[in-house]
Amino acid sequence: MKSKLIKGFGLIAGLLIVCVPMFAHHGGSDYDIQHPRTLKGTVTEFFWSNPHCQVFLDSKDDSNKVVNWTIETLAPAVLRRAGWSRETLHPGDQITITFVPSKKGTPVGMLRKVVLPDGSELSGGALGEQPQQ
Amino acid sequence: MRNWFLGSTIALAVALAFLAVARAQTDHSGAAKTDAKATGFDPHDLAGIWNPAPFMQPIGEVNPLDLGGHPNPLPPFTPAGEAAYLANAKFIAAGAVLDCDPFGVSRNFFTPRPFEILLTRDRLVQHFEYYDNWREIWTDGRKIPADVDPEYMGYSIGRWDGDTFVVDSAAYNGKAFLTWQGFPISESMHQTERWQRLDQDTLKIVFTFDDPKNYAKPWSITFFWKLRKDWVMDAHPCTLSAIKEYDDRVNHADKLPGRDYSKPEKK
Repeated sequence: MKSKLIKGFGLIAGLLIVCVPMFAHHGGSDYDIQHPRTLKGTVTEFFWSNPHCQVFLDSKDDSNKVVNWTIETLAPAVLRRAGWSRETLHPGDQITITFVPSKKGTPVGMLRKVVLPDGSELSGGALGEQPQQ
Repeated sequence: MRNWFLGSTIALAVALAFLAVARAQTDHSGAAKTDAKATGFDPHDLAGIWNPAPFMQPIGEVNPLDLGGHPNPLPPFTPAGEAAYLANAKFIAAGAVLDCDPFGVSRNFFTPRPFEILLTRDRLVQHFEYYDNWREIWTDGRKIPADVDPEYMGYSIGRWDGDTFVVDSAAYNGKAFLTWQGFPISESMHQTERWQRLDQDTLKIVFTFDDPKNYAKPWSITFFWKLRKDWVMDAHPCTLSAIKEYDDRVNHADKLPGRDYSKPEKK
């Protein structure tokens, strides 16, 4: 009975995680949540706005070509509760960003976490309460 | 003298009994009430910011956040309700959900963002952070007016049944979705909610949806929220200009069409 309950909780928690990109992207498309990516790069713009903020980042690909990535985040309200502000990122900042990429192969993604120039780390925030581990 | 004393005692006893009955009627209370001093919280004090805890929903119920495209289980649709759901789901999948129409009551509840409760003399007011939607629940004993105009947020009245706050709502305009999946709401929807503050930090609400046009029988969702004493509400209004900018910057970069601004609003 207990294992069934835990399994059920796990299933619902999984569904919640799955739903996050769906909320985030609005358009019905989704992100490849099974294959998060991590890139190092230079911030070209940090756009703080509803419905979702965006981080624009120049990063070199495997052929040394600079690609400008569009990494969206959750809403400013959610980011603020995760410790962000509109001044968290600035053009020229060297950061490491982890995100789930678009399934289309476009340079678009949904932010999971970022390592700032001073080495501190911020998550992309959470939708709703999360089960305690 | 003795008769006067006896008469006065009886009169006082009758008066006290009358006051006790009157107080019970004022509380609308048939059930036992919790002693706030004993539990450390007042179950009738619902004020504060509540953040949803979807993982606490009982297994086996319709999950309003099962957004993978094939929610399981589904509500007990009528044929008309299923057709409306499929049309709504297609509308959502096309990205047309990018609009600023009010969400209606239930979809606001099932959006994983907080709401704040404000208590006034005659109302309990809910402020949903996402898209800045407001709902009034009248607590002054009135009924839902027969001639009220249907609205996205319907018309809601609430009363206490012991430690359970019971809300009835109707007068929905049929234009909102019940959940993010696009489950439909018709103008015949009668929604009942039973709110219980289980402890200092936990609010439980059992929703029952009775909409014979769309659903073959009433069905329920049980959902939970946690009190966030350290939070303040943030601004998240919906504006078409912000949605258009998001389309331009993100959806188009991802080769998605985004919202079609050349077409009129959905009906």
